[in-house]
Amino acid sequence: MKSELTMPKLRPDMQQGVVVAWLKQPGEPFQKGDAIYEVESDKVVNQIEAERQGKLCRQLVEEGDAVLVGDPVAEVE
Amino acid sequence: MERKPDWLRVPYNPTEVAEVSALLSDAKLNTVCKEANCPNLGECYSKRTATFMIMGRDCTRNCRFCNVTPGRPGPLDPEEPMHVAEVVKKLGLKHAVITQVTRDDLPDGGAAHMADTVRAIRSLNPDVTIEVLISDLQGSVEALETVLSARPDVMNHNVEMVEELYDTIRPQAIYQRSLGVLRNSKRIAPDILTKTGFMVGLGETEEQLDRLMDDIRATDCDILTISQYLQPTHEHTKLMRYVTPEEFEAYKEKALAKGFRFVASAPLVRSSYRAAEAFTEITHK
Repeated sequence: MKSELTMPKLRPDMQQGVVVAWLKQPGEPFQKGDAIYEVESDKVVNQIEAERQGKLCRQLVEEGDAVLVGDPVAEVE
Repeated sequence: MERKPDWLRVPYNPTEVAEVSALLSDAKLNTVCKEANCPNLGECYSKRTATFMIMGRDCTRNCRFCNVTPGRPGPLDPEEPMHVAEVVKKLGLKHAVITQVTRDDLPDGGAAHMADTVRAIRSLNPDVTIEVLISDLQGSVEALETVLSARPDVMNHNVEMVEELYDTIRPQAIYQRSLGVLRNSKRIAPDILTKTGFMVGLGETEEQLDRLMDDIRATDCDILTISQYLQPTHEHTKLMRYVTPEEFEAYKEKALAKGFRFVASAPLVRSSYRAAEAFTEITHK
């Protein structure tokens, strides 16, 4: 079943985040806990981990894109 | 935005962070993890650990490096000590770290409230070790005695930076007063471990850092943390440089050679990061 990964609220005052790198490519499977993509916050780069195993279907944003908290970044199944 | 070095990459698990956030929010508790926008929040919450920040969210000081909100704090919540104790139990912590906003508006700087919190934690969690991370209490020895009378296992007060940067970055603090907190703690309660930390990357020189370590060691301080300053927002003190992991290792060697019993020195080390491990290691040596 397909679902979307959305931009998490990494910090209480965060409105949007910049996806700085994709660590999984379309078609690539992942395990729970694998880092899927990187989001830069003021202090560090956060590697966002998968909450369950699955496969990355489609990247909905490009590296360098700013994404609002809660907006989709990828399609997974 | 300038590209961050590779060693500033941290794991973040949205589900696990949300669980701990909800638990803390239900208990109406603040953490310095959240208020200071700590880079290790994801890792620590995932391990179900957090550093509680008591006495409100507003701090009476306005240090230029810190993300905690400056303002006029409200009255203390007498139920807060027990709320903290209950969450320590729920999280199953073995080592609890309690910090505070600076409360220059209170005659004792919040010392009695801190002592009450230590006692409340101990009453519900007799096996938990407790570390307090306190303000300088405006240099009051009496207030420090109040905190120490609750017998925390570790008394931590951060000197934060080299003396030469106090005036511009930490204007309401006094270097010698902070050293005095560490010195007085050892004098009043020699068996309680003392701990402090400072940041690098603020523009300090190697000579200044060397003197800082000597000054701290002269207080007979046991535990030292050295960390990278990370600029919370563009309005805060400007980050001057990223110190490499190799340089942090060299600082650690230098500090150990000066006689500190435990040193944590790495870019993402924070005052309370992996504090439990530090405590265990030093007490089992």
